Amino acid sequence: MNSSRKKEGQMKTKKNEKKTTRRSFMKNLSVAAAAGSAGLVTGGCVSLEKTEEMGLKWEEYFKKNYRLMTEEEKGETVARLERLAKLKGDGDIQMSSQGPRENVLYGYAFNISRCKGYMDCVEACVKENNLDRTSKTQYIRLFEMDSGQLDPTTGDGKYHHEVPVENKFYMGVQCYHCENAPCIKACPTKATWREPDGIVVVDYDWCIGCRYCLAACPYWGRRFNWGEPEIPREEMNRKQHYLGNRMRMKGVMEKCTFCVQRTRQGKLPACAEACPTGSRVFGNLLDPDSEIRFILKHKKVFRFKEELGTDPKFWYFID
Amino acid sequence: MKKIFLCSNLLFLVLGTMLLSCQAAMASGSTVMDRIHAAKEPFDNMKMETAYQLPVKTVLAKESYQGGTFRVLARKDSITRFRCSVCHTEKKMLARDGAFFTHSDIEINHGRGDDKLACIECHDEKDRDFLRDAEGKNIDFDHSYRLCGQCHFRQKRDWLGGAHGKREAYWAGERVVRNCTSCHSPHSPAFETKMPVTYSLPLDQ
Ligand code: SF4
Ligand code: SF4
Repeated sequence: MNSSRKKEGQMKTKKNEKKTTRRSFMKNLSVAAAAGSAGLVTGGCVSLEKTEEMGLKWEEYFKKNYRLMTEEEKGETVARLERLAKLKGDGDIQMSSQGPRENVLYGYAFNISRCKGYMDCVEACVKENNLDRTSKTQYIRLFEMDSGQLDPTTGDGKYHHEVPVENKFYMGVQCYHCENAPCIKACPTKATWREPDGIVVVDYDWCIGCRYCLAACPYWGRRFNWGEPEIPREEMNRKQHYLGNRMRMKGVMEKCTFCVQRTRQGKLPACAEACPTGSRVFGNLLDPDSEIRFILKHKKVFRFKEELGTDPKFWYFID
Repeated sequence: MKKIFLCSNLLFLVLGTMLLSCQAAMASGSTVMDRIHAAKEPFDNMKMETAYQLPVKTVLAKESYQGGTFRVLARKDSITRFRCSVCHTEKKMLARDGAFFTHSDIEINHGRGDDKLACIECHDEKDRDFLRDAEGKNIDFDHSYRLCGQCHFRQKRDWLGGAHGKREAYWAGERVVRNCTSCHSPHSPAFETKMPVTYSLPLDQ
């Protein structure tokens, strides 16, 4: 709770207002709540919208960890966040709190003999997930690798030239949604966990920004918001999920969510859909008839740093 | 006021931690491979109630996937001058229209080394509205995978299973995959060399 108070304090204020300190912010909140409950319309002092916004923020402040919320409470917070976004001028957000499906466990396979390093996946991910443009945050990193190497640390993760280069191959790295994830164990506030369908998520409102998880992840799976994430309004993806691509705040951790806002609707993650070479295969590991199961059965597959026992749900394969 | 905050905060935190650690203990145990091996029942993909309507035309494939049916993206719709037989007739034409009518824009870059394929190795010489396989069977443009698979049988096997090519938009619902020609130009099937669409900052940033 202390954390979310800190964050609220950090929340960016609109241009025309003065930046509020934490103390004055808290004071305003109580004033607003009092004004709201008394049914007063104090003309000229606090506008109706302002009162509403403060009331909503007040309720947001006292909400629980997402995992402890009832379906009803999830619905309420989603409605509040949609309204707050509207008041902030972000337009009509459709935020979902759709839960996991039974008998679904998501898994991913990446064909290292097909990927050409075009990076359409990276671009699609940035747009889909409302990633901060200022710091050029990206969930996916592609490494240009020498043949014979299988460890991305030996590759070039910032290439910018015509691809593919002869005798090189390309390896995409992102969060592997480990079944036995060290990042989850490292979190002191239980702000990050694995959903029943296997997706490792972060409750942005519960994260205190300590970055223990980032240090614990052996795969560069996590991204930290050092500043307030910024996205041009016209590029904002308004189809959001509470655990996915909703707007993050300064000081919280985020990561690939297998595009939870898409995949729980039966869609492919943005990266898999965008890939022009078909190197990215996504599907249900619990379905013996799925493409990903075909790959696990018939192709030469390996997982990166499997010996660590993190049990990733992300395989590399070759033709 | 502040005291109340602190008290309620503490209560939430203690309660939350207790509840959550219980859940975590319950979830741990089996590995992904254990769970995969235990899952033998096919998932009912059609159960995904989310409406999925593709904005593109598809056709039922003339092959089976895991014993069932699947669909491929149609091809004929995207061939600019289909139907071919409109032009390919016995009718005489003017020499000056030749450049337009002879597909002079198509460059064949398909085949090993200098041994490029000729048009009629894939197109039916007699009935231009069809392709033709090595056995002389007509093949519809929408089902070109049947033709490509003659030589590229390993790719076709992988494509049928899902290790080559890709699904269109959805992992669930009816299986719809891209045709060979959705990604590869049949006349020049290799992927081109080009600039990546974006770049990444150095790792330490
Ligand atoms: S790859 Fe890293 S961030 Fe993703 S689940 Fe594994 S340990 Fe956590
Ligand atoms: S930064 Fe990571 S470890 Fe720290 S609270 Fe947030 S999710 Fe948990």
